Amino acid sequence: MPGIYHNIMKEEHYLLVELKQGNKEAFSLIFQKYYKDLVLFGGSLLRDKFQCEDIVQNVFLKLWRNRETLEIETSLKSFLIRSVQNSCLDELRHKVVIREHESYSQSFYASDNMDTEHYVLYSNLESHLEEALGKLPEVCRIAFEMNRLEGLKYREIAERLNVSERTIEVRIGKALGLLREYLKEFFVFLLLISGNWK
Amino acid sequence: MQKEDKIEALIVKSFSGNISPEENESIKEWVNESTQNIRYYQELKDIWQVIHPAFSPDEIDVDKAERKVMGLIQERKLINSSIFILWQRVAAVLIIPVIMLAAYLSYNQSNRSSSIAYQEITSPFGTSSKVDLSDGSTVWLNSGSKLRYPVVFTSNERNVYLSGEAFFKVHSDKSHPFIVETKGLNVTATGTQFNVEAYASDSITAVTLVEGKVNVKMVGDKNVHLNPNERIVFNSITNNYNLTETDGQHWGLWKDGILAFRDEPLNEVFKRIGRTFNVDIVIKDDNISHQLYRATFQGESFDEILRLLKISAPIKYKILERERKPDNQFNKEKIEVYKVN
Repeated sequence: MPGIYHNIMKEEHYLLVELKQGNKEAFSLIFQKYYKDLVLFGGSLLRDKFQCEDIVQNVFLKLWRNRETLEIETSLKSFLIRSVQNSCLDELRHKVVIREHESYSQSFYASDNMDTEHYVLYSNLESHLEEALGKLPEVCRIAFEMNRLEGLKYREIAERLNVSERTIEVRIGKALGLLREYLKEFFVFLLLISGNWK
Repeated sequence: MQKEDKIEALIVKSFSGNISPEENESIKEWVNESTQNIRYYQELKDIWQVIHPAFSPDEIDVDKAERKVMGLIQERKLINSSIFILWQRVAAVLIIPVIMLAAYLSYNQSNRSSSIAYQEITSPFGTSSKVDLSDGSTVWLNSGSKLRYPVVFTSNERNVYLSGEAFFKVHSDKSHPFIVETKGLNVTATGTQFNVEAYASDSITAVTLVEGKVNVKMVGDKNVHLNPNERIVFNSITNNYNLTETDGQHWGLWKDGILAFRDEPLNEVFKRIGRTFNVDIVIKDDNISHQLYRATFQGESFDEILRLLKISAPIKYKILERERKPDNQFNKEKIEVYKVN
């Protein structure tokens, strides 16, 4: 098993080496692999698709322009997430929205401390999500999906299912906790591949 | 285990943004108890964010973005090489100033090509506004809508981004297609008039063509050409669409302050009235939701419209007292509608 992780690490390492030498195909592979994930990650901070796409494109442009002097201490993924995060936070500082954002994401730890190394991206989860959702207890899954797919507020779900809002919070909370558990293998997996290669 | 259940319910509540300061404080306390708790919270938040993206992943066109970035890389290379040829020809004494100039120019150029200045206009709930774009096109933004557009259109395409409802009168320019991007679909036009409804809170996105021709590209790569007086409604939950014939003009009347309903179900009628006047209107009896209604309102006040509705449809309504939120602001006005037997 460790062989697989090793190969992935090697692959990324190889891509970076090629990138530094100006190989556009390597750049394109990195772009294809991370673009969508990074735009979605940006969305969790800025909520504006247009802006997020702009920011991520600029991050890639800089990656290419600075490729020769690039020093990546962490993994490529972590480096890219951090770059997008910084640009998004810069953008937020320029916006009036900042107050709204603060109440939205109530940071319990400074965002600098966010563990970018272990952040699970959309493409990591996508393939396993349906399976994990299928494993949830029926009542939890129903409440969770009503919120996720129909965008219903907890109050509205409670009204539809004829239970208290508090019950819905517990069910959705439980659903999320279980999803984390089912997807846990993933976290382990990501932990392994993002070891300390340079 | 009981404790865990409770904290998860609280955390989930905080993600939905609907949490009291005290509850928030208790999450904070719990999170800061141990590094395991921090980690656990982070993992939950991460999964939640990935599962609840701000916009649909299918809307992100990776290949288009790559072409754009590759184009910018190419452009810069061209500038560099032409400068190279230039300075070879210049006398040695001029080399240093020329290099400095070249460096400055290429820096400037690359900066300019990579950053386009955007402007964003929001029409708050209860108002509508009109925007003139740099290409001569005009956009009317309906209540609660947002339009993002470049201050000057520089690329081959005229791209704007819409959330909410807007009526577009596009200045004709065949070589620079005008593209309206929304959450569910993109509309490509050259010179036409059309109305787009793409409210973020709605699962449907609709385009109605008044004149000319447009191409509608939906999430999932479905493509449809619209003819005048055709209306397409795309549902982003089922990924299906529905094409109907309609009176195109009718869908743009709102921009002239006219609220017109032509055999539309009451739930749609109330949704539109609610948006226009910034009021939450909830129908309490499902069986009147689909009752069809026909009326035109122009310049009537909200109270007047309600009164007329009450006379002409089998309804009665109740205006709820406005609640004061913790931050001392009042909630939106809320009205409940019931069936009259």
